[in-house]
Amino acid sequence: MFTALLTAMIGISAFKGLGIIDPATELFYMPTYYGAYIVGGLIFGAGFVMSGWCPGTAAVGAASGKLDALVFLCGAFLGSILFNELFPVIKPLYTAGQSSQDAFGQAGVAFVYTSLGMSEGAFALIFTLIAIGCFWGAEYLEKIKAKNPESGMYFQTPFLKAFSLVFLVFAGTLLFFSAPEAKTPTAGFELAKAPSSDESLLASVADAQDHVEPEELADALYNGDPNFIVIDVRPANEYKRFHIRGAKNVELPDLPAFMQKQDKAAKVVLYSNGMTHPAQARDALYRQGYRNVFILTDGLNGFINTCLKPVSLRKTPVSPQKADQINAWRNFFYASSAKTQIPADTPSLPGLVSTDWLFQNLKNPKVKIIDSRPQPEYNKSHIPGSLATSVENFRGVVGGLPSMLLPPALLSAKFSLMGIESDDIAVLVYAGDNVRDTTLIGLVFERLGHKTYGILDGGFEKWTGEKKPVNTELPPDTRSVYPVVRDKDDFTADYRQVLAHVQNKTALILDNRPKDYYTGKKSDEARAGHVPGAINRPFKDDLVQVGSYTTLKPTAELESAYAALIPSKDATIIVHCRTGHQASQTFFVLKYLLGYKNVFWYDGGWTEWAARQELPIEK
Amino acid sequence: MKPYSNPYLAGLGLGITLLASYLILGAGLGASGGLARFGAYAECLIAPSHVLSGEYFGKWGENPLRYYLVFMFIGVFIGGLFSAISASRIHIKIEKGNKCPPKLRLIFALCGGILVGFASRLAGGCTSGQALSGGALLLTGSLVFLIFVFAGGYAVAYFLRRQWDD
Repeated sequence: MFTALLTAMIGISAFKGLGIIDPATELFYMPTYYGAYIVGGLIFGAGFVMSGWCPGTAAVGAASGKLDALVFLCGAFLGSILFNELFPVIKPLYTAGQSSQDAFGQAGVAFVYTSLGMSEGAFALIFTLIAIGCFWGAEYLEKIKAKNPESGMYFQTPFLKAFSLVFLVFAGTLLFFSAPEAKTPTAGFELAKAPSSDESLLASVADAQDHVEPEELADALYNGDPNFIVIDVRPANEYKRFHIRGAKNVELPDLPAFMQKQDKAAKVVLYSNGMTHPAQARDALYRQGYRNVFILTDGLNGFINTCLKPVSLRKTPVSPQKADQINAWRNFFYASSAKTQIPADTPSLPGLVSTDWLFQNLKNPKVKIIDSRPQPEYNKSHIPGSLATSVENFRGVVGGLPSMLLPPALLSAKFSLMGIESDDIAVLVYAGDNVRDTTLIGLVFERLGHKTYGILDGGFEKWTGEKKPVNTELPPDTRSVYPVVRDKDDFTADYRQVLAHVQNKTALILDNRPKDYYTGKKSDEARAGHVPGAINRPFKDDLVQVGSYTTLKPTAELESAYAALIPSKDATIIVHCRTGHQASQTFFVLKYLLGYKNVFWYDGGWTEWAARQELPIEK
Repeated sequence: MKPYSNPYLAGLGLGITLLASYLILGAGLGASGGLARFGAYAECLIAPSHVLSGEYFGKWGENPLRYYLVFMFIGVFIGGLFSAISASRIHIKIEKGNKCPPKLRLIFALCGGILVGFASRLAGGCTSGQALSGGALLLTGSLVFLIFVFAGGYAVAYFLRRQWDD
């Protein structure tokens, strides 16, 4: 144990001296808590002697079949749990007696040579001498006292002599090399640079040169000042939820690489929710020579409270000029900047979105993935970040009719709960042959005038078939304020309009139910049959199985199939099925894949038509 | 059964391992940390919400086993197994003095284990994580811990020596 300690100690000192390890950034130090360590040490020593094991040796002991080691491990396992359970009570002791020293910006990190007031090299040499003394002493004691002939077998052997000598030489060399460093800090440029960098760092902090006030930042961004680069250092999901307009998301580990690429003249402002992480990052970058890094005073929370909190919610009165400024900032920072975020290679929407495109845009915060599969399937695995919903969330009894697409106000409310924004690109995911689930959700978007939605071509099975990433993590719990949009629904037809078209023969009615329902052979409703003059085109005829997944048939194939049924692209077409579900798929195919201009969707469908006894039917 | 290796050379090997760990990971070795993670995992299986809301295990998150010390612990176990097999030293037995009843020895091992598990959480590590890894960086706390481990050990050794008497 002492040998290991000596080896590693000498090695680390040597690597530090040679510049292989940077002690400030590349090593992990535990702060010293005298109280906790003294009590912990005493209890540990007692347990150590009582059991004869420590966790490391017991792992090896258990591996070689020592039952007591196994029992010890169970004990240590229980002891850890016990500590967790007692933590609320023990907490004061856990942090008791923190050392007043600090090192590398971490409070409580204390080095024993500093505690004893000597240089690192001198302490290392003394420590080595003590350890060698202990080796010889222990071997001697074992030799004269023990009955066992194997004890003390190394006493005065050439091995122990050589071993001791090697350590002494190493420790002595370290002292020799580290001594001038400690005594004459101006000896070399490199040596002089480190302390002065820390001093100037502290001076810059003391002069408050490290901060940017929220108002200053808000003003600069509002006025489009190009000299500010704003960095959000929080995790991507928090960034996605909300960030200061124009901020880039760079997490702490990626900062140094990011900084290298930046203009040295620009003011780089780091922020997080609070101030601790950005301040640490700023100090680290300062040490690396960046003088243009600042932190946002009070972080994002402070920014929102100072600049964006509505005037009506403030405790202190606000002058009218200030109120105007706050409102202007609110409009600016809460407005979305989505138009710049739509990738150039986005397919024309509404339409089909390829798995490759989605994969490229998985991290885009404006791309919202909506998974329409049943919740248990979603729970098992889903495309990262996707929101789960069922098509049934958007349907209900409206005007006495079941399974009607809900009115816009309710749909907006549901989108708000899902965190969907009116400028998002929604990618809808289905599984199996349930393309119609996504096309019906597509009609929800249509009803709200939201045209940037697409259906994932091939659905979930194509995605997984291509080994693209899935996980079980929940998406961020984000709310949005989706505006209530009325009067955008220009595609839903009610029975009166259908009837008028039937009587005047002004529209082509496409019945998308299976053939047996169209002919009236089968029926789930009050009456069997179909709307007079309607043509049957079952929705399943538009689907094709490709290997493991189902998707819509190739456009060329659909084009010729529908050209045989419909005279021109300008013809008025009304699609319907029983409840509007299956017909939503045909609607999507006709309008967005084939470019038919006047397609309408009769939501009430056969359920309503059959129930209204006055409406004509045909068998 | 082969004899154990030269303890000084074994120590040198352990020191080089620790050095490598500092070079590659920036952090030292540790055994109790991995063990505690298993504890947190087990408790998580039984009462996840209780664990996650707790102040100590809670900060380790839902996957306490995703931590380098857990893998290190498994590695130590496999290494021990390998060494024991290669030296044909695997025997299911209880390490104890001749006069000590096995049951008493196991009770001591369990109680000692609980103390060690508890104390290593309190002190932020055990002999490997705190005393050895921190000691190599010459951290005051680690050496204080080491001194008091000896103090605690000597204080109870007199009362407990019976289990080792031949």
